[in-house]
Amino acid sequence: MAKITIGIADMKASADSADILTTYCLGSCIGLSLYDPVARVGGILHYMLPSDSINPLKGESKPYMFGSTGIPRLFKTCYQLGAEKKRLIVKVAGGGQVLNESGMFNIGKRNYAFLRKILWKNNVMIDAESIGGNNNRTMYLRLSDGQVMVKLSREEMVVL
Amino acid sequence: MKHMDEILASIHQIPPFPQVALKAMDIISNPQYIVSDLVEVIRLDQSITANILKLCNSAYFGLPRKVSSLKEAVVYLGTTQLRQVLLGSGAKDIYDRPDKGYSYFVGELWQHAIACALMSQLLARHLRLPLDENSIFTAALLHDVGKVVLSTYVSQEFAEIDIMVKEEKLSFHEAERRVLGFDHAEIGGRLAELWKFPDLIVAAIRFHHQPEKAPKQYRLLSELIALADGLVLMVGYGTSVDGLSYHIPHLLVDKLKLKKDDIQVLMIKFQEEMDKAQEMIDVKDAL
Repeated sequence: MAKITIGIADMKASADSADILTTYCLGSCIGLSLYDPVARVGGILHYMLPSDSINPLKGESKPYMFGSTGIPRLFKTCYQLGAEKKRLIVKVAGGGQVLNESGMFNIGKRNYAFLRKILWKNNVMIDAESIGGNNNRTMYLRLSDGQVMVKLSREEMVVL
Repeated sequence: MKHMDEILASIHQIPPFPQVALKAMDIISNPQYIVSDLVEVIRLDQSITANILKLCNSAYFGLPRKVSSLKEAVVYLGTTQLRQVLLGSGAKDIYDRPDKGYSYFVGELWQHAIACALMSQLLARHLRLPLDENSIFTAALLHDVGKVVLSTYVSQEFAEIDIMVKEEKLSFHEAERRVLGFDHAEIGGRLAELWKFPDLIVAAIRFHHQPEKAPKQYRLLSELIALADGLVLMVGYGTSVDGLSYHIPHLLVDKLKLKKDDIQVLMIKFQEEMDKAQEMIDVKDAL
């Protein structure tokens, strides 16, 4: 079994059913997990900001920093490993918020809104999610059966 | 309040800030210092010596060739970077103590401290704040040192603090104050005072969750650390049992009329810096 860690602004996918993918430190960032139960292929993207329109050059050099450049790449990478769109199970974690009411710091909400929009445009449904609140999260994807687990700060680990 | 007295007394049981680091920082505070004097002092601490060599050769400093002598490393790094390494070595030893209360991953508090230091420096440059780079780095690196004390000595009270945060939607440091009578920022300030850091640093640590209460002459640095702390928590560096349960004081944001996009631009630059600093964060693995 290989434990594969996905850092901040990072993406990894695998077709090895012995692998477990993990991403820590989901604050306002989004962890997006895809899994094809037939091909036993899956991947996780951990992106920080919604769109690379703020810095298109950075979108090219660090595509996993943004939803706009990272999400399509995650899907493509899974397809290359043998996944098929119609079979993909989509799970999401993160998008946390600090306590401030003002919109200045609501990057978590904007990250999540962006994800909903891009998935909706592409006819992809979210199967399960753990989103928002004043939490940070760790997300795990087990490639053998596609189980996604999420650990919230102050809480026990749950199956998503 | 007997318990509070006990905790305050326990501050004295926390190991002192490494003396070699303090002594070396004292030497380099004199612009005319002699390199061999400094090397003689640093040599006394193996872990600091190893850290300096490791950092000097890390990608972060990007030197053209490998440096193997301490003297050469000291010359190469220069005063500002040397000060950061010395302070970092000392702080790392303090932060890497076993944690019971806040449930950090090993090394996470250290990672958060470095993140806050890098973010504070970026913000200060971006906003052209009239603050000295050394003070920014020191205050940011040490701002959460009070958590080390609370984690060790009040781990049982964390359940109560936790319930209060959840049920009353309080920020974590407010709940700490309700349950304990003080918060990690105040304890950190007292610790820095005990270690004889300057008043500016003590104030920035003490008021990093409520900079509006800082004495006026120290307020700007407290505001900066408060903002940087909140932003790195959002990115995900250093969240643990307290999660994102904080209000980010936005005095600086209002004062400087920062926009949402500015925050995103800063976060991008910050993540670049963090990638470069990874070796600095992993420095413990080299020892």
